[in-house]
Amino acid sequence: MQESPHISSVYDRDLEAIQASIMKMGGLVEAAILKAAKSLETRDEALAEEVRQGDLAIDTLEEQVNDEAARVIALRAPTAVDLRVVLSVMKIAANLERIGDLSKNMAKRTGVLIQMQTIPGAPAALRRMAREVELMLKDALDAYIQRDEDLAHDVINRDADLDQMYNAIFREFLTFMMEDPRNITACMHLHFIAKNIERMGDHVTSIAEQVIFLVSGEAPRERRPKADKTSYDPDLAPGADEAGD
Amino acid sequence: MYDTSKTADGATEQMATKFHCADVQVFYGATHAIKDVNVDIQDKTVTAFIGPSGCGKSTFLRCLNRMNDTIDVARVEGTILLDGEDVYDARVDPVQLRAKVGMVFQKPNPFPKSIYENVAYGPKIHGMARTKGDLDELVERALRRAALWDEVKDRLDATGTGLSGGQQQRLCIARAVATEPEVLLMDEPASALDPIATSQIEELIDELRQNYAVVIVTHSMQQAARVSQKTAFFHLGNLVEYDDTSKIFTNPEDPRTESYITGRIG
Repeated sequence: MQESPHISSVYDRDLEAIQASIMKMGGLVEAAILKAAKSLETRDEALAEEVRQGDLAIDTLEEQVNDEAARVIALRAPTAVDLRVVLSVMKIAANLERIGDLSKNMAKRTGVLIQMQTIPGAPAALRRMAREVELMLKDALDAYIQRDEDLAHDVINRDADLDQMYNAIFREFLTFMMEDPRNITACMHLHFIAKNIERMGDHVTSIAEQVIFLVSGEAPRERRPKADKTSYDPDLAPGADEAGD
Repeated sequence: MYDTSKTADGATEQMATKFHCADVQVFYGATHAIKDVNVDIQDKTVTAFIGPSGCGKSTFLRCLNRMNDTIDVARVEGTILLDGEDVYDARVDPVQLRAKVGMVFQKPNPFPKSIYENVAYGPKIHGMARTKGDLDELVERALRRAALWDEVKDRLDATGTGLSGGQQQRLCIARAVATEPEVLLMDEPASALDPIATSQIEELIDELRQNYAVVIVTHSMQQAARVSQKTAFFHLGNLVEYDDTSKIFTNPEDPRTESYITGRIG
């Protein structure tokens, strides 16, 4: 937050308050991602419950950010960079809220998965994926605070790595399910968790795009790299990969 | 260079240049009040001049119809062309020029005469009406154009100074448009008015744009944002930035413009 101060210091305090709420939200969401992934790996039902309960606080903060943003628009009629601050916090709050929901969904599935036979390697792989997306989120929020366009671009580019991880996990789960149909229920849940994390990456990317919009005044134009091929690549369909592996 | 204007719906309109200003300098005695201003003001467009007090926006506005001639110590240099004709050419009669380039001031200043006389005065001295019927028609047209007709049509003989502030200002606008000008200069036309009267003036400005080039000096940035298609930001006698209003208020190029419109420098 490097803009020089307004003549009206109350205006500065209003804008800082909204941005502080966003950072608080970001902290809660980062923690939720890590806790959800940890509870899955350590089969910790209490920790999963904590994540499920914690989502309310995130939702409440989002409402607070939107209320504060609406108030600033009504009372201050922000322009230029101030307007972009207000617009971007609203979008970022929505993205964070979605990531919070996806973490909560992970924790819900963890509650079910704990009752089942474990799929070897899967929780650890998912936790690595979750840690990756959490790092991306942390960098996106740092980029926001420091108004760092380069770091935001870096975050956007890293989403492709996350998609690669998702592709690999997708194939792995298919293999497990083909090997033994009794794995299907657990693998379906695990797959949804992987998909949740992959979606989080998209939301983080969107946050990074807001940083670029905030700093430059223009949304990034270039197509961002997409590496999630599971929805259209027949090579990832069952039976198609015998020759490969 | 600045020959396109974005309308509200985002379409790009091509408008003819009304005023071409190149290397304009204004001195008040030893004070260099306007420095190297280059700007093309478009026809059928509202152009807003914004900037802190003393930045030169009113001074520059007054160059456009030679109002600075009335100030002894003021000296204007550079080129100002109205439809290609030099405004400062020795053969140009300032009175004729001001009939073409009308002006409305901050404080409503109707003549201490009847409403009718206020509007009829200009057309009369410029010999624009041959008969009383012609003049009546002209007065009615001007008052309608200034959105005042319905309020005053039954009391055209009443004195102009007896109207409310907002009505007086619209009367001054009617007076300015009565001489069929091509350009309307407005120096803070709504700053002495309440919000309702301000809205009426702003609505009027938007309608006037159909027929005239309108140049408005305003301290209210929200007003500039609401009424204009082009905005020029002046600072310390320099024209810092001139662009589409939507660009100036969302993503200005110059950090000084950004600081001013977001309330960081006065």
